Amino acid sequence: MTLDEINQGLAQLANSGDPAFSNAANFIAQITEQIKVGQMSASEYTETLQDIQRQISIIQDMQQMAYKEQLNTLINGLIKIASLV
Amino acid sequence: MKKFILSVVILLSGCTLVDSYLMTKYDANEYLLITQIRVSAQRFEKQCNNSSSSTGNAHAMSSLTELFASYTEQLPHNKEGAHSAKALNEIAQGLWERYNKREPVSTAFCQVKFQSIENMAQLIQNVSAKRPR
Repeated sequence: MTLDEINQGLAQLANSGDPAFSNAANFIAQITEQIKVGQMSASEYTETLQDIQRQISIIQDMQQMAYKEQLNTLINGLIKIASLV
Repeated sequence: MKKFILSVVILLSGCTLVDSYLMTKYDANEYLLITQIRVSAQRFEKQCNNSSSSTGNAHAMSSLTELFASYTEQLPHNKEGAHSAKALNEIAQGLWERYNKREPVSTAFCQVKFQSIENMAQLIQNVSAKRPR
């Protein structure tokens, strides 16, 4: 994955509408800017890129989990309503 | 064909609904562990310019994330949580391995590692707090 591809993916995540996900994605974007400046060895740079991919994967997993949590709340609400009728 | 498409739609949405209904409930131990990781990463990042402290800190962080990953992986209906914990552990292990092999570690790299761990721990903590009770 190139830095441009990472930036594209981050832009999508940053526009998810949820502040927690936007903050996480914006932070990774800051890291990508930091590593462009230097101050790291080549192997550290490579590992940081791998870490960025891991972080994107975590954000995607957490988005999926947050979606399930919303569905869970909805289902439980419907069950409560159904039990009252 | 319509019946087939309808069946597939019902089946797929059914799986998601069942998955959501059965998802792992709020777990106080899991929440405590991820909070410990977040707070430790916040503190350790400030000590990155001291290599002797950072070696110990990297080891402590690798132990914490390993414990978190091992704890979450056995929780039922927690695929995303376990996957995230594993990825977080990989980020932390990378730093510890460098210190352990006595490879040179730059202050910038150490700071980016701990900042990344803190950032991801905060996100996981945010989502864990909203798990159904």
